[in-house]
Amino acid sequence: MLLQQIVNGITIGSLYSLVALGLTMVYGIMRVLDIANAGAYTLGAYLGVWAYTRTHSIIIALLAGVGGAAITGYLFQRAVYTPIKKVADPIVPLVASIGLFIVMEDLFRLIAGPYTITFPVHLPLNRLTLGSVIITGTQAVILLVSAFLFLLLWILLNKTKIGLAWQATAQDVETAMAMGINTRSVVAFAFILGYAFAALAGILVAIHYNAVFPTMGDIPSYKMLAIVVLGGLGNPLGAVVASMVVGLAEALVAGYIGSFLPTDAIAFLALIILLLVRPQGLFASGGDAR
Amino acid sequence: MKTLKFGLLMISLLVIALLASACGNGAGNTQSGAAKTIKIGFFAPETGPEAADGTSAYNSAKLAVEQINAGGGINGAKLELVNYDDQLDTKQAVSIAQKLTTRDGVAAVVSGSYSGPTRAAAPIFQQAKIPMISAYAVHPAIPRTGNYIFQQSFSGVVEGAAAAEVAKNELHAKNVAILAIDNDFGHTLVQGFKQRAAQTGLKVQEPNWFHFGDTEFTPVLTKIKDNGADVLFMPAYAAEGSQIIRRIHDMGLKIQPLGTEGLDSTTQFLEVAGKNANGLVIVTNLNRDSKEQVVKDFIKAYKEKYGHEPDMVGASTYDAFYVLAEAMRKSGVTPDKIRDGIANTKNFQAVTGKIEGYDKIGQVIKPVQVQQVKDGAFRYFGEITDPAIITPPVN
Repeated sequence: MLLQQIVNGITIGSLYSLVALGLTMVYGIMRVLDIANAGAYTLGAYLGVWAYTRTHSIIIALLAGVGGAAITGYLFQRAVYTPIKKVADPIVPLVASIGLFIVMEDLFRLIAGPYTITFPVHLPLNRLTLGSVIITGTQAVILLVSAFLFLLLWILLNKTKIGLAWQATAQDVETAMAMGINTRSVVAFAFILGYAFAALAGILVAIHYNAVFPTMGDIPSYKMLAIVVLGGLGNPLGAVVASMVVGLAEALVAGYIGSFLPTDAIAFLALIILLLVRPQGLFASGGDAR
Repeated sequence: MKTLKFGLLMISLLVIALLASACGNGAGNTQSGAAKTIKIGFFAPETGPEAADGTSAYNSAKLAVEQINAGGGINGAKLELVNYDDQLDTKQAVSIAQKLTTRDGVAAVVSGSYSGPTRAAAPIFQQAKIPMISAYAVHPAIPRTGNYIFQQSFSGVVEGAAAAEVAKNELHAKNVAILAIDNDFGHTLVQGFKQRAAQTGLKVQEPNWFHFGDTEFTPVLTKIKDNGADVLFMPAYAAEGSQIIRRIHDMGLKIQPLGTEGLDSTTQFLEVAGKNANGLVIVTNLNRDSKEQVVKDFIKAYKEKYGHEPDMVGASTYDAFYVLAEAMRKSGVTPDKIRDGIANTKNFQAVTGKIEGYDKIGQVIKPVQVQQVKDGAFRYFGEITDPAIITPPVN
């Protein structure tokens, strides 16, 4: 059963890391904990399912969800975060992001209704049995898609000009500016990428659970904070590792101990323990660990 | 500065939108009626995490009031719905109960909410001596608040016992695993199930609990698989229940799932679970294949008005209003007389089964429906009428 639970845990961790990556990329640049990123997760799912039911094309669904969320990210950054950041201390953008998130959730409910909408994409993979371990079709899809997206992000951040500029800006804004990096476009890039990632995660999760509903971003909105802090704020690799740690912890607790505390509390418990032994997080903040 | 102004404008617009939406669903949505009206208070989780159930309940409340008024009201007087959104928040429910009892002047109240908010609000209605019918909350403490509080849905203990009976006699279970939600609803149902199973010698494993909002059930199902069981009793709501059913199918688990009224929703459960739900058996209070005219009429009217299938939450809320109307017609329209009228209800044919009456605590006595999912729809599977099971415990 241990091996099976490890597979289960890594699958859960993969889903978490897709959501956490968007949040951590925005934090890395803006030093803003953007709760509204969880709204982009829901927005992606809604736009995706809207496009899918009209076209029955998963590609168009992905484009609609990711594109819509990326535009939203850009607009939020230009209209809300950058202006506020100039005049107010860091807590104000956080409060604004909570406001944006609540507004988004209510708009989803008002526009799409309170009922769950299904996202009936048939996944092409069947159950795999490897000895005593079963990898279900959806687990396999999640693992493959996440691995692909991690690779894509790694290439984007390490092999492209804008990605390297992101890393430089995340480490030190002033030096990056002094070196001639256009930090304005880097900030925009971070929001676009961060929201696009959240939307991708939202669509994948919505297909996995066959469900899109207005409050689907509730749990990610706070749970991802624990994961992002656990991994070192603004550190994408750290966010992935922390997601895996939390996913594994949840699977092992559910499998061996049972429910002695709410599932979502496990992430925060892990965070408290880690902060006691390693106050800087699993990895240091920003781009330092790379 | 230009961007700052634009940003502030955006924020203010969004805040206005939010406030407008909050007001639209919030306090004091009274519908003005004719000169002579009887106000009925109502609250349900119309926004927040269970907005779907809250909306079903509120829609059904509106439908019931509309139909009762169209049929001549209560001896000529129209009903007026005083609606509140409790957001599934016990603190909200308390302040709503205070408003309803002190400001709104309602003659009776229907709770279209879950056990938590309903339990919190009940003592305030009891103290104000305004009768309340809890439409579908199952916690046994609710009717025990006092003689003005009635439970329209059968107690979770009864429903759990009925499920144990189905497991033993219909599903021929040898070894039952339990996967239940860790709240009032889950604990009450598990308690009823275990009590009845102990009486009839059915083997039940230690329950596995999950939490509201959990989405990943593969780990716990892996554990259940390793412990070997032939039936899985799963008191869960639609959101979690549909994921459990999907994962059972994904993992190829050979186990017969047995659900409760928590899964009794076409939009929230059946559509999400899809074909994986076929074969699932649930205990509930709504028999969609019933030959009774009230059931057919309700299903038809609801579908016509709202464009989707009604669920058990809606049917139960609808019934609560009809029980109230019946009590008012027979007994009178002051709170005390309505209370007496509800207490004296006898053999009343409602959508959710024939109400034999209410016991001295205020718990309903009615048969438990057993439904099975066939081709993506809930169909008749059986009915439990044994008084030993459907009579709620009074101590």
